[in-house]
Amino acid sequence: MKQNKTMVVAFLAPAVIFFCLIFIYPIIRTIAMSLFSVENVTSPIRDWTFTGVKNYITLAQTSLFWQSMWNIFRIWAAGGIVVMALALLFAVILNSGIRFKRFFRAVMYAPNIVSAVALATMWLQYVFANRWGMLTNFFSWVGLEELAATQWTASGNKFWAMTFAYCFGMVGYHMLIFSSGIEKIPQEYYEASAIDGAGRVAQFRRITFPMLKGVIKTNITMWTITSVGFFIWSQLFSTVTTDLDTITPMVYMYLQVFSAGNAVTAREAGLGAAVGVTLGLCVVLVFVVTNLLIHNDELEY
Amino acid sequence: MKTKKSEATHRRRINWRREARLLPGYSLIFIWVIFTFVLVGWVAAASLSSTRAIYQGEVFSIAKNGLNFSNYIKAWNSQNVSVFFSNSLLYASVSSVLLILVAAPAAYVLSRFRFFLNHPIQNSFVAAMGVPVVMIILPLFSVVTQMQLLKQPFTIRMLMIFLFIGINVPYTTIFLLSFFSNISRSYEEAAAIDGCPPMRTFWTIMFPLAQPGVITVSIFNFINIWNEYFMSLIFANSDKTRPVAVGLYSMINSMRYTGDWAGMFASVMILFLPTFVMYLFLSEKIIAGVTGGIKG
Repeated sequence: MKQNKTMVVAFLAPAVIFFCLIFIYPIIRTIAMSLFSVENVTSPIRDWTFTGVKNYITLAQTSLFWQSMWNIFRIWAAGGIVVMALALLFAVILNSGIRFKRFFRAVMYAPNIVSAVALATMWLQYVFANRWGMLTNFFSWVGLEELAATQWTASGNKFWAMTFAYCFGMVGYHMLIFSSGIEKIPQEYYEASAIDGAGRVAQFRRITFPMLKGVIKTNITMWTITSVGFFIWSQLFSTVTTDLDTITPMVYMYLQVFSAGNAVTAREAGLGAAVGVTLGLCVVLVFVVTNLLIHNDELEY
Repeated sequence: MKTKKSEATHRRRINWRREARLLPGYSLIFIWVIFTFVLVGWVAAASLSSTRAIYQGEVFSIAKNGLNFSNYIKAWNSQNVSVFFSNSLLYASVSSVLLILVAAPAAYVLSRFRFFLNHPIQNSFVAAMGVPVVMIILPLFSVVTQMQLLKQPFTIRMLMIFLFIGINVPYTTIFLLSFFSNISRSYEEAAAIDGCPPMRTFWTIMFPLAQPGVITVSIFNFINIWNEYFMSLIFANSDKTRPVAVGLYSMINSMRYTGDWAGMFASVMILFLPTFVMYLFLSEKIIAGVTGGIKG
């Protein structure tokens, strides 16, 4: 028994130490930092001055921050609905017995293994391009000259162009998660319901969808986590450093703390920490709400 | 479909009525897949043509323009792309190997032994997978700066490996945990009867048995670290330590401004190809890695 104890400690220690250094300590320090006035990120703790919720109040009065929250909310909500609907649709199609399932699945997931810098540039410089762009060529070929002349990455269209391109890449990932959930549903349920005369739509409504509750929860959680980290796409689609169309909280934090741009009025790293805590709370909130709304019914399959 | 018997022997024969019922599904997937192919195909063609051909919309007329591999050579030599590549290779390979050495023993202990911290640790690892980078980046940055680690390329490289390990420990551990729980306990029991101490049992018997899971999660970690952007931008944004994604981002940007479109698309392909080629060979393993770490 004693040998087991040393083994448990020896085997767990490295992982737990890494976990504490990379997660526990920084999280605690970020939360603390958001309640202090910190002139520079690198300022030692003794130079911090406690200001309570002042950083959060400042954030609430900053229109740039609200703009970034509004943008991320639209990406999360509108993009999320589209991505989840398409992902579920494709997962159902791929599991309906079509040929080349593995090939199609692999192609749809492919955008996720490509560097986001490459993928975003492909969209930006090819699909949305003006002279040689895919959309321009497609619409003039169909004869819709008005659409063909659209400047997809101009100020008014840029946000949705970015969201659309981003969602295209994400569908594959969420499709895989839905798909793995559908594969776990016992085939007998479908056979039994088919004998009782259920069609494909009824089968989807009465079997597939209810059995996917756990997977839906996973998908919403994962979508929220990746949305919160929305950064590269915004950087690539923005033409100026502080682009109101594309700014997200993470970009705002980056500009505020690592002050690459001139968006910053006051040097205040505490604000950056407050942005981090706000985003963390958003993830927790979404997680709690989804768990309240979707009961798991203790289904184990 | 002459007789029932021939239908049974040729089960993979096309049943047209069945396929026709699946037609809407097929067409939707076809549109998606064709779009993806055109997207990548056009960029690949453009990277081999010339800026003039791109302007004239003739990237596919290979007969007229030939294949310009010079775009790639020019892009590769315009900045230290080989340095970016060796950095990415170093970060991704060393971190994913060390990750296994850190996570596999932990996963094994968590899957096999009962002790009072077991479930709290598992739960905090699962929770850590949901922690956004913004929540941890500022303290990490300030600690690291105070330790003077961002001054020399060598310390930056070590730091990046350390960070990539730390960030991925929770996911890797949880992934391997479910893998170890599925291995029968009878192996350890047999080893114990033969007098093999538990630690040796792990390294000589259990760890090799978990090989498929180890390989899957390592490929997955490798690609994730290769493509990582934000932390590298904050910590490793210097000429000698930049990984490919950060390095090529600035290259793509500068080529955009100089109007070297062929060179820009070549840079995109340089960034795109390594993980894509890996994916061509390993897509099944990678897809298993995505769904493996998630509880259905």
